[in-house]
Amino acid sequence: MKAVGARLPRYDGVAHVTGRTVFVDDVRLPGTLVVKALRSPAHHASITRLDVRPAEEMKGVHAVITHKDVPLNVYGHLSALGIPGDEPLLAEEDVRYKGQPIAAVAAEDEDTALAAVEAIELELEERPALLDVRKAFDPDAPRIHHWGNWYPHFEGGLDRRQIRKGDIDWAFAKADVIVQGVYRPAAVEHCPLETQTCLAVPEPSGRLVIYSCTQALYFSMGVVAAHLQWPLNKLKFVGGTVGGGFGGKVDTASDTVCALLALKSGRPVKWRWTREEEFLCSSTRAPWHMEIADAVTSDGWILGRKMITLHDSGAYARFSPYGVTKHSFHHTGAYTIPNLHFDGYVVFTNRAPTTAMRGFGVTSVSFAVETHMSRIADVLGMDPFELRLKNANRIGDTSPNGIVYTDPSTVPVVQAIAQAVGHELKAEYRQMTREMRSGEWLPEHLVAQLGNPEEH
Amino acid sequence: MKLTVNGRSYDVESGPLTTLLDVLREELEITGPKAGCEQGGCGACTVLVDGEPRRSCLIPVGAIEGASITTVEGLGEPGRLAPIQQAFVHYYASQCGFCTPGMLIAAQAYLDRGGTDDREAIIEALGGHVCRCTGYVKIIEAVAAAARGESFDLARTAEGKYTTLVAGDGR
Repeated sequence: MKAVGARLPRYDGVAHVTGRTVFVDDVRLPGTLVVKALRSPAHHASITRLDVRPAEEMKGVHAVITHKDVPLNVYGHLSALGIPGDEPLLAEEDVRYKGQPIAAVAAEDEDTALAAVEAIELELEERPALLDVRKAFDPDAPRIHHWGNWYPHFEGGLDRRQIRKGDIDWAFAKADVIVQGVYRPAAVEHCPLETQTCLAVPEPSGRLVIYSCTQALYFSMGVVAAHLQWPLNKLKFVGGTVGGGFGGKVDTASDTVCALLALKSGRPVKWRWTREEEFLCSSTRAPWHMEIADAVTSDGWILGRKMITLHDSGAYARFSPYGVTKHSFHHTGAYTIPNLHFDGYVVFTNRAPTTAMRGFGVTSVSFAVETHMSRIADVLGMDPFELRLKNANRIGDTSPNGIVYTDPSTVPVVQAIAQAVGHELKAEYRQMTREMRSGEWLPEHLVAQLGNPEEH
Repeated sequence: MKLTVNGRSYDVESGPLTTLLDVLREELEITGPKAGCEQGGCGACTVLVDGEPRRSCLIPVGAIEGASITTVEGLGEPGRLAPIQQAFVHYYASQCGFCTPGMLIAAQAYLDRGGTDDREAIIEALGGHVCRCTGYVKIIEAVAAAARGESFDLARTAEGKYTTLVAGDGR
């Protein structure tokens, strides 16, 4: 435990301040080609014509790829778990978000690569686009994904992540007041200072070396191997130096395209997204639509919660089902509610696919829950600190997914906040501990949910 | 045309409209300055041009013929760090490291013109340099410490011998 509380240096600190840290774009190899992509100019469209021959015939262009060059074009970030793939590496018949890659070129220099992209002949027939997650969930919304407008592959063939706990009808029959709220946090771009960058180098042995800015190196290796239909041992990944990720470099965004262009051209190829591409085409934190209805007693107990969550997955599923699963486990936040009815949907829109970002799936629900707690306190005319302490997770309480808490921190944290802002708590709340409920803190409706922390 | 970079003279072959950033990175292979936005918005490409901090992504190299350039590589080397580099290491002012070369150049320029540890003045001097990791607090602390002339024994930092921050906490 020598490291705990000690002031240890960063292992990469001196390299960072001397310019010695080698990011992907800092790797220099002679003969490296420049990659640029043709991206969809429309949010949603059918591709009626795609002809890359004018680009291929240009001087200085060494390789052009479309979906026809990808051994396994349609794949999914959850395919390794047995979920069917839904996302083409390069668009086939249709494009489902603005900026979706359709073709990519590798050329001698940037100007030639840009001119080659310009020369590709593309014709589209635009279709209506859905850009709001709530509208995409309407029954009469146009269908924008071949699975329907939301993801249908949760366990047991369910089309949602659902949680059912206790007796929700009892809670709502018993309530003195129902408190409702709708919460809609917007998309957030990760905005790493280093844009998506990849360098792929063909080796004489037939292997590929991929310098990747990925946050998830072995995962990216699996994705590239799947698209190429290659064994892993033909790929060598060099990574670990990431110029900011924040979740935005979990998805494999540039490695596979570079791998294919390196193989087709026989040359090292590098793709560094522009800042504009990073903002317009890279994944974001999802927008969410969350509706909460709580069954509450006039003295501040939350007897039950009904909640529906629409997670904006963008055009394809990627990791969104995982994010919604985490979200569902946290949908009561730092508080214990014994009767629950939760449905979380992964909804498709014509936005860039969304992904992980610092607390994947949880920050959205924390925002909703904490805002809702304050709203309940307002409705009841109750001290918001005391409402939180009353319903706080205590040792022995159970989470929405049945975990018995052994080390919950809600009580000391809320007490510390009250103290820090000079908020006077009543004696019974000042003296409250996180130990198992008893006496006035163990009303009848919380008895059945109690678990045995000794067994966990 | 000629350029002096970190005290060494170069004959530059790139055309006059090539950006200074591209000349440094692509022709001279001096990769400290980073291409963060190539629009003058992020500050990661900042270098000293005749002592002034400038965005190298916005400067056509033909406009600064004969200039003397300092990049982060010219501030100091491992084992011989400049005070501002030591301060950045000591105060954890660098996380992913991508904005660091530009930040250090701006900070060095601030110190060179006699900047003090005044927080507002430091913020003004680093304005336009985007860092996505640190939240800036540690960067400002590092620049202030360097402005006060504090020195750091990084060998001791490396041995983990600095006093603990939470000594005596029982948890």
